[in-house]
Amino acid sequence: MVSPRTVRNLKREWRDNWLAKVGVVLVVAMVLVAVFAPFIAPYNPRSQSLDDNRLPPMGFSKTENQTSSEFVDGEAQVVSEEVTINATWDHPLGTNQLGQDMLSRVIYGARTSLLVGFFGTLFAMLIGVPIGLVAGYSRGRVDDALMRFADVMLAFPSLVLAVALVGLWGRATFRIPDPFVALGLAPGMPGSVVIPGTVIAVVALVTWVWFARVARGEALSVREEEYVKAARSLGASDRFVVWKHVLPNSLTPILVLGTIQIAAIILLESALSFLGFSGTTLSWGFDIAQGRDDLATAWWVATIPGLAIVLTVIGINLVGDWLRDALDPGLGGEGGSGA
Amino acid sequence: MTDPLVRVEDLRKYYFEQDTLVDRMLGREQQSVKAVDGVSFDIHRGETLGLVGESGCGKSTTGETLLALREATGGSVGFDGTDVFGMGRAELKSFRRRAQVVFQDPFSSLDPRLTVGDIIGEPLLIHGQSDSAGRRERAKELLERVGLSAGQVDRYPHEFSGGQRQRVGIARALALEPEFVVLDEPVSALDVSVQAQVLNLLEDLQEEFGLTYLFIAHDLSVVRHICDRVAVMYLGEIVEIGTTDDIFDDPQHPYTQALLDSVPRAATSEHGRRVDALAGDVPSPRNPPQGCHFHTRCPHAREACRAEPPAYDVSEGHEAACFRLDDDHAYWESDPIAQNATGEDTSEHAPESTSEAD
Repeated sequence: MVSPRTVRNLKREWRDNWLAKVGVVLVVAMVLVAVFAPFIAPYNPRSQSLDDNRLPPMGFSKTENQTSSEFVDGEAQVVSEEVTINATWDHPLGTNQLGQDMLSRVIYGARTSLLVGFFGTLFAMLIGVPIGLVAGYSRGRVDDALMRFADVMLAFPSLVLAVALVGLWGRATFRIPDPFVALGLAPGMPGSVVIPGTVIAVVALVTWVWFARVARGEALSVREEEYVKAARSLGASDRFVVWKHVLPNSLTPILVLGTIQIAAIILLESALSFLGFSGTTLSWGFDIAQGRDDLATAWWVATIPGLAIVLTVIGINLVGDWLRDALDPGLGGEGGSGA
Repeated sequence: MTDPLVRVEDLRKYYFEQDTLVDRMLGREQQSVKAVDGVSFDIHRGETLGLVGESGCGKSTTGETLLALREATGGSVGFDGTDVFGMGRAELKSFRRRAQVVFQDPFSSLDPRLTVGDIIGEPLLIHGQSDSAGRRERAKELLERVGLSAGQVDRYPHEFSGGQRQRVGIARALALEPEFVVLDEPVSALDVSVQAQVLNLLEDLQEEFGLTYLFIAHDLSVVRHICDRVAVMYLGEIVEIGTTDDIFDDPQHPYTQALLDSVPRAATSEHGRRVDALAGDVPSPRNPPQGCHFHTRCPHAREACRAEPPAYDVSEGHEAACFRLDDDHAYWESDPIAQNATGEDTSEHAPESTSEAD
């Protein structure tokens, strides 16, 4: 299905476009971090040590007023002194209010974000692409009905929809045992990965419209190609034509949109976790929500997971740009002008 | 003469504008574009009928409608005695087996994501041959037959030139061993040198498999080369039909005459010949002229041409839809009308100047 020309274009873009390399490195790094989190994380991200709360990340220090009461001359006196707390290599990215290691939390948060990003996009595609292809290929009333419905979905603010769906279904979460921990390779780490089902369902229901619209546009143009007419003149059924011709020839922009949507979905996941819908606390969005209260005293609690989101989204977007640039001219050059 | 393989009677294909739900709710009147407006012809077994005309006259639409690729607005098409538009699903599928089409644009007619082996094998897959090795063998066979090599079976369309792609398109059309092939301008997108090769291939295949062709074209020299009979179309109607020799040596309809006159010639004696191009453009099929569709551009037009459309009879050997062929027609008594250069304007008031007529 991938023609040699496509591969050539991918390689050329890869050579000429250093941003593509940055993107791929970022994405691959994030995926590796998420997969091997139990080995990379220095601490169990859930274990608390309240004494070490709000430690600053490396390179920073914080000053804190420590009050203690002493007996001076038989009289109780409140002494307030300014203490400087330096960062330690024990917690390179600092700790949060509960003394949980931020580095470990960010590493584990990648799992939730990437899971939601990947599966959310996958399900959004599975809903949106067939609807869009059918609408675009059949045109007429089917198209009108499906696309008006999609427009209604689009007009709905996604967060409101998410809140409504969570309210409707409650929180569905699936716990999957972490294979590394189960095999005893990473003692002391959380024993299971939480897949936030509700969040995945919600982001899929919110974003499928984009896939439907792009798939419809592609189907509209592909159905006018003469090879579609040729297939029909051979006696092919509509299902055959859509599956064999319209889908493969619409796939490139859909995949590119997919990479862009992963980024958007990770942001949406953060917003939903921020509101507490994900059913797990190991999420970048949840940490941002936690850190928001302490922005004045411990800015890193919210900023570090925020940076992780930014890096991931940039990486995925760069990969998406690379795919778009490399795949589009490949097809544009192949097609001739219509009759 | 035996029964024709294809009999097209009064075929009509109108496109309607302002046909959406909103338009209907607002009670807007439907506007029709008469792409094909009452076309009749027969195609006999083993012959090649040429269908020629300017672009936009409805040639390709005729070809696609008679194959039931587009829904006809009216008329009927008989294929081997069966009404094509009355066919059920199963019947239609077996009709698709027997009637094939080769498209104009060899770049758009092959799916860029399939190998040519898959493309040529696709008709077999659609018609129930699920064994993929067998399909591949047949594709190789067909590639050889159309002058490509069997080793190219795994290549993609973009690795071929236009002429080679058109050969692949022909191989696909032949995969099901059809009896009738619509050739929709099969060579007009190709270089002249390649055109001749493809035309020769088509002729060879016709002889070998006993094919019947409907050859749609706008290039008259190509048509003269390959066709047994020719039908000339203008604005959705056939204005003249006859054997190739009759049409080229003795054109009856003023439009055919003008069309033949406009062909550039190679002879040196013709050098510097002034071509009396037709005045004006083709009128819009949205609002075709009353009466004879050609009267707005015809050098012989008279008032009578506006009154009613001329008719022709397919059963005759050589027929043209023009009143001038009828010695007793009221045409000869009526006044000439002058031409206006815009063509689309069919104003009822004839201008004073009649200098251009005759």
